[in-house]
This record gives sequence, structure tokens and C-alpha cells, in this order.
Amino acid sequence: MTMKRFLVSLAAIALPSFAQGALAQAVVTTEQVRAELVAHAPQGVEAGKPLWLGLQIEHQPDWHTYWKNPGDSGLPTTLTWQLPAGVTAGEIAWPTPAKLPVGPLMNYGYKGKVLLPVPATVTSAFAGNTLEIKLSAQWLVCKDVCIPQQGDFALSVPARASTALHGAAFDAAWATVPEAVAGAKAQAELVDGAKTLRVSVSGLPAALQGQALAFFAETAGVIEPAAKVDARWDGSVWRADVPVAYQRFESPAQMNAVLVAPGAKAGVQVGFAIAGSWPAIVAPGAAPPQAALPAPPPAPGLSFGLALLFALVGGALLNLMPCVFPILSLKLLGFAGHAHSRRALLEGGIAYSAGVVLSFVALAALLLLLRAGGEQIGWGFQLQSPVFVAALAVLFTVIALNLAGLFEFGTLLPSTLATARLRHPLADSALTGVLAVAVASPCTAPFMGAALGLAFTLPAVQALSLFATLGLGMALPYLAASAWPRVAQAMPRPGVWMATFKTAMAFPMLATVVWLAWVLGQQTGNDGVVALLGVLVALAFALWAWGRIDSGRIGRAVWSTSGVVLLGAVLTWALPSWREASAATSVASLDDRWQPWSRERVAALNAEGRTVFVDFTAAWCVTCLVNKRTTLGDAAVLADFDARRVALMRADWTRRDAAISDELSRLGRHGVPVYALYKPGQAMPTLLPELLSPQLVRDALAAP
Amino acid sequence: MRLKALAPLLFGLSLLAGAAIAAPASVGQPAPTFSVSDAAGKVVSLADFKGKTVVLEWVNPECPYVRKHYGSANMQATQKRATATGVVWLSVNSTHPSHGDYKQPGEMTRWNQQQGASPSATLMDSDGRVGRAYGARTTPHIYVVDAKGTLVYAGGIDDKPSANPADVKTAKNFVNAALADMQAGRPIAQAVTRAYGCSVKYADGG
Repeated sequence: MTMKRFLVSLAAIALPSFAQGALAQAVVTTEQVRAELVAHAPQGVEAGKPLWLGLQIEHQPDWHTYWKNPGDSGLPTTLTWQLPAGVTAGEIAWPTPAKLPVGPLMNYGYKGKVLLPVPATVTSAFAGNTLEIKLSAQWLVCKDVCIPQQGDFALSVPARASTALHGAAFDAAWATVPEAVAGAKAQAELVDGAKTLRVSVSGLPAALQGQALAFFAETAGVIEPAAKVDARWDGSVWRADVPVAYQRFESPAQMNAVLVAPGAKAGVQVGFAIAGSWPAIVAPGAAPPQAALPAPPPAPGLSFGLALLFALVGGALLNLMPCVFPILSLKLLGFAGHAHSRRALLEGGIAYSAGVVLSFVALAALLLLLRAGGEQIGWGFQLQSPVFVAALAVLFTVIALNLAGLFEFGTLLPSTLATARLRHPLADSALTGVLAVAVASPCTAPFMGAALGLAFTLPAVQALSLFATLGLGMALPYLAASAWPRVAQAMPRPGVWMATFKTAMAFPMLATVVWLAWVLGQQTGNDGVVALLGVLVALAFALWAWGRIDSGRIGRAVWSTSGVVLLGAVLTWALPSWREASAATSVASLDDRWQPWSRERVAALNAEGRTVFVDFTAAWCVTCLVNKRTTLGDAAVLADFDARRVALMRADWTRRDAAISDELSRLGRHGVPVYALYKPGQAMPTLLPELLSPQLVRDALAAP
Repeated sequence: MRLKALAPLLFGLSLLAGAAIAAPASVGQPAPTFSVSDAAGKVVSLADFKGKTVVLEWVNPECPYVRKHYGSANMQATQKRATATGVVWLSVNSTHPSHGDYKQPGEMTRWNQQQGASPSATLMDSDGRVGRAYGARTTPHIYVVDAKGTLVYAGGIDDKPSANPADVKTAKNFVNAALADMQAGRPIAQAVTRAYGCSVKYADGG
């Protein structure tokens, strides 16, 4: 350290004690700056009359102090006022800063002479002949070295006389303070995986048009100050891609920025909301803690082999999920039908398995492709489309009516096709498999959540093999049964009972239709449901009409034509009402307890010290509904929530929702249900298993 | 056929990931590797500490903010607390030799002794390569790398951006908190924070 530098540091340390005594005055001088407390009261100090305070800093050559956002390093100057009753100082009106590069770093601040103006207000509570102002200021002054300094200032301003000595300096300072311009409109969105803030500003004044504007973010820790802003003029609209900070520590939903034309004294202030959501600032490897829970869900970090195993088990468990039951009944029928031939049974089992596995792989490939294309979707995405839900309802009704004996497929299909179907029972089995997947895929069974989460972080081949394993797991029980003669022998012999059983199985199918109608209602409202019911009636009529084989050739033609015409007319009427509704319609049964989810709200409640329980759910997710009935409505659980002042939120994924998809992928999940307990001070919530029990939730609440 | 369609896409993505290495490190990404001489003349690599948590502390003995934390014994206490649990603590001086604040390796060793500091090693990053790879902006600036080599913390030593040593008592020490979170198996609650202090004295001209 040179002697000079030592003295400089010494001065900085000695300064406060020197300046604090009764000798406090308007000017503090160090080797780097001359700082002066100034005031402007042209009409005296009186209620309603203008009063400006300020700190004027004159820097020695090459030294600088900092703006409100200091950039890569540095600290903004802070002012702490001591004022008599009736006088209050506002915030610093920061003059437009300059860019101050330091090696590879970029700072924002002031060189030369700067006045930091502060508007003050005077009320009638102020009395006295002089206004005694005391100011304690701290600033960091840097050249190639940095010196933190502070000074205590005092100033007396006569109340009944004009103080305007620094009027010109204040006028000059105000002229450099960035102002918002009427008519300027700015917007911003996060693009490129939140690595870039894309800003566009229209309605800027003529003086700025076409200029190479400098961009200063008022909030620190959001953008990379030294990185090049990629800006261009698009007619009268200024568009800029601003690189987001590599080590960002703020996630503002709204931000102000200052745009400065080259050589301009003052910039223009623009404010904008930031569309898109900030990724959480957390290492992805940091898995949520799970030790406190029984049967913890596997962490996203689980190994690939273990993930395959989970996929297999999860797939097998899918058979027990409520939404698969109707398909299970179809399979049972198939079993009884084929029980006469062991070979046919095995072949059917294999064909069914192939259908299941291929459907899973095809769905997953589609999902991966869509996600790669930037779509915010997750597992179960197909049920987010009302048209798909309606189509499923139609399909299930057709099956139910067939089971109930209203018509036979044989009478409908052209005879060649019908015999083809009879000749190819394998194709039939495979199609049953496809059907099973279409219905089962939204039910994220226990263990499947983490495996699916992992799947989206893997290369495509591994991800697809994971989905294939999931399918294999689902087909496994049936496959094993078809390969194991004893199981087949245990099945009852074919007989008259089969007709009864078949008809009985129509009812679970119809129950599923009721559920799908309810899902559609959540998505589109009452009109969509009525439209569906109308279509179902027309469909039933058409099927019945086509099935009237005993009515003669002409009669048949009349019946089937009327059936087709009716169905066509009703479909034309129904289709528009199945368009995706806006998010404004109802959220899955929110009651007083449950608020709609938002990330900001969770953060705000956490900041208040409250724990938040979030139910990530969707109307089409039956597991979610089961949990809602058995656990989330449980009196003891609700009492526990109340006792611990836990805020309850519901994130409804019935329709596509980018914010919810984002949060799910942050949690390492890509399907619902997900139950998350956000505790204050923890970046990652505790995740609960997908099948809840009251005890489990209460234990999780009690865990530290 | 779908797999084939995905292949070029994935290839493109991996190229992007490769290009990103040139940019400064971000939390959640692999920490930049380095091999650099320490004050004792020994070459130290990040890879030497695989399986251990590593703290990187940017230091410049001439900086008033560094002095705040050494003068109040805060930095030394934070070091001891960390190294006592098996954490590797590397002090890094990225000051360029052309700058008045530059210290010779011997001076750094002596300064550590005077301060009662006990880093596992003090890295002489005179060309600023390690500092730029991590995006170190200030002294002090703290980074934590986990046992898997992932950057898990970047930011300040605490939440009181002042030069006043008295503030250490009331400040929240982010480094202690981050290491405690890691030891408890919790995710780090504040993984990126504001680093405050003097700018790192890199060579001019970037």
C-alpha cells in the first residue's frame, strides 16, 4: 500500500468522528469529493411552498459515486435526514447516470459534479424562524480503488426569507432527472428460457427516435450490466433484447428502466410489467427434503435404473386407479371370451401389451416434440382439450350402448370390416390397449410423478424407454394372467351369465361419461355440457336407427339417413361450444378456504411467516378428486390447517396454464396431483405423496 | 421415426449447452473448472476437491469491505466454521499485477497469518481468469460449489452492504446459512444474493 493510499483510507476512517461534533456544517471535504448539503426555499419555509434539499457532490477527476442501481459493484449513496416536526424529506430524485466501465465490469454512476435533489414537504405543523436540517450521508467513492465515506451535515434555513442561492444548481439537477413521458408505452417479456428480457417501447419523444439508446435498469440484480443490449428501431418502436444477469438475485414482476440518447442530459423513464415467469433461483440438484414423511416419493435425482423400476410398478398400479376401471372391465370380458384357447389368450395378451406400450411411446414422443417446440404442457395435456374430452365421452357412450345391447358392432360395420375384425382378434386386442392408455394416461399413479419428472430431463431415447416401461407395467398384470394358464382356468366358464355381466359393465362406462361431462363443464361451462348431452342423445338415436335390421330395405335407409342427419346437425351446433374457454370461468370448486394459486402470493404469505399448502389439481384427474374427498375435506386435517394458520391454495391445471406448468417442472413434476407444503424460509417446498391420507398430511404439517 | 426427428434437435440443444460455457457461471450449472497456482506455489484444481463442498472467497486485502470482514474477524470465523465440517475454503485474489492493490504470493501468505485467516489455500488468479469464469465482481464475493461440482451459491457474505464493521453483528451471514442448508440436506434458501464491496481489480480493457 502506498503512503498516499494509506492516508486516504485513514481520512475515510477519521472522517465520521471529525464531522459528527457540534462543528457539523454544510460542507464535508475528503481527498476524493467535496460534498455539500444544499437547500432551496425561494418563498421561505412554509406549508405548501416548495422546499428542495440536496447533497451536491463534486468528485475529484476520475472518481465517481453511484446511481440507485450501482451496476456490477459499488453502492448507491444513502441519505438519512433529521428534520423538525412538519417537515419530511422524500426519496432522492436520481439524476440520469452514466455508464462507468471498470475492466470487464460495468457500473452506473456520476463523475464531476452532481446534485442529488430531494423534494421535501412542509405542513402547518412546522413552526419556527429557522429550519434546522441535519443529514447523515454515506457514499462509496471509487476510481480504481473504492473508499466508503460518510459525512454529517447541518444547515440552517431561514423560514421567513428566501433561500435561492442554489436555485440554478437545483434547476440543472432537475433537468437531468429522468421523467416518464406521456404516451410512451413499454412492455417486456422473458424469452430464451428467461435468459433474455425482451423490451419494446413505443411512443417515445421525437428527440429519441432513431437514436442508439442506452438502457439502465432501476432494479439491481436483474440484468447483466456489462453485457451488450441488442437494440433496434422497428419504425417508431424501440426493441431491445437485454441479457438477464447470470447471477440474478431479484425476480421483479414490474420494473422501471431509464433510456438515454447519446449526449442527452436526461433520460426517459419507462415502466413495464415483465411477462413470463422467472425460474426459481435454486440449484436443480437440491432435492426437497423427504425424510419426515412415510413412503416418501422418489426424488427427481433418482437413478435411471430405479426410475425404470418405479415406472414399471407405477404402470402396474395404474390398473387400480379409478379412471382405468371401465377398461379393466372390457379386458375381463375379453378374458372370459378367449378362455377356451390358451394360445389365443397369450396372443391377445401380447397384442394388448403392444397396444399399451406403443400408445405410451407415441404419446410421450408427441409430448416431447411439443415441449421441444416450447409448449408449456405436461402429462395429461390431452385432457386439457375440451374436444378431446367430448370425444372420449362419445367413445365411452358408444361402448356402453354396445355393452348394453342397443346395437351390435357387426350390424354397423360393413361386412368385410366385421369379418376382418373377427379374423383379426389380435388387432382388436391391440386397440383395446390403445383405448386403455387414452383413458389411463392422465392418472398419475403413485411413484409415477418422479419418474415422469426425470423423463423430461433425459435424452429422448431414455425418456421414451421410460414411458415404454410404464406401458409395460400397465399391461403386465394382464399379460401375466394370459400367460399363466391357472389364472385363465380360474376364470368362470362361458355361459349365459356373460350376457348379464356384459350389460352390467355398461354402467361403469356410463359413470365415466358422467365424469367426463363434469370435466367438460369445468372447461367450457354449462353450454358445453348441454351440447355434449345433445350429441349423446343424437348418437344414441343414430346407433339405434342403424341397428334396426328388421325394418326392411327402404325403412333402413330412412332410419339411417335420419340418424346421420340428426347427428350431423347436433354436432354442428355443439362443436363451437367446446372451444377452449378463457381462464375467467370457474376454478375447480374454490370455496372460502381455498384461494387460487399464484407464485407471488405464496412468496408473500411465506414472507409473512405463514406456511402455504398448494393442491395442484385438475378436474380430469380422478386421483386428485379422491384425495380431495378423503383427505383435504377431512375435518381433522382442516382443523390442523386452521390451528397452524396454513394458507390453502389450489392451482387448477384443468386448462393449460404456463405458470402452473413452470412451477410443476421446478418441483420436478410434470403431472397432477402434486401436493406441496411451502414453509417460510425454504426455497423448495416439501412434496407429499400422490395418494394422500389424513394422517400423512398431518404428519407433514407437524414436521419441522 | 420420431426418435430420428428428435435427434437433430437434441444435437442442436447440446451445441447450445456447449456454447454457454463461455458465459459466466450461473447457480445450478456446473461450476467452472480451473487450475491455478496458490500462494505457496502449488497448483490447485477444482477437480482436486471432487466429493467435497468448496467455498470460493474473492479477496483483496486493500479493499475496505474486505477489511470490514477481516477486521471484525467475521471472515475468519466463517472460514473456521466451514473448514471444521470438512468444507474446502479457497481464497481467490484476482487483482492484476498492474494494479496498486496487487499482492505478491508471499505477501498474501503473510497477510493471512496476520489476520489469523485459515483458508485451505489462497489462489493467485493474477490474470483474472477464474474470476471472470465465475463472474466475480466484488471483494468479497462468495461462491459455493457442492460435492457434485455444481455451483449452488453466488453472492455476498451477508445482507448488510456497508463498510461499517459494527453491522456484522446484526447482519445475516449468507455463507453460514447456505452451508447449514447443505448439511441439513435442504435446498439453499437464498442461492443468489447481492455481492457488495470493491470491484475486482481486473486488468483494464476487459
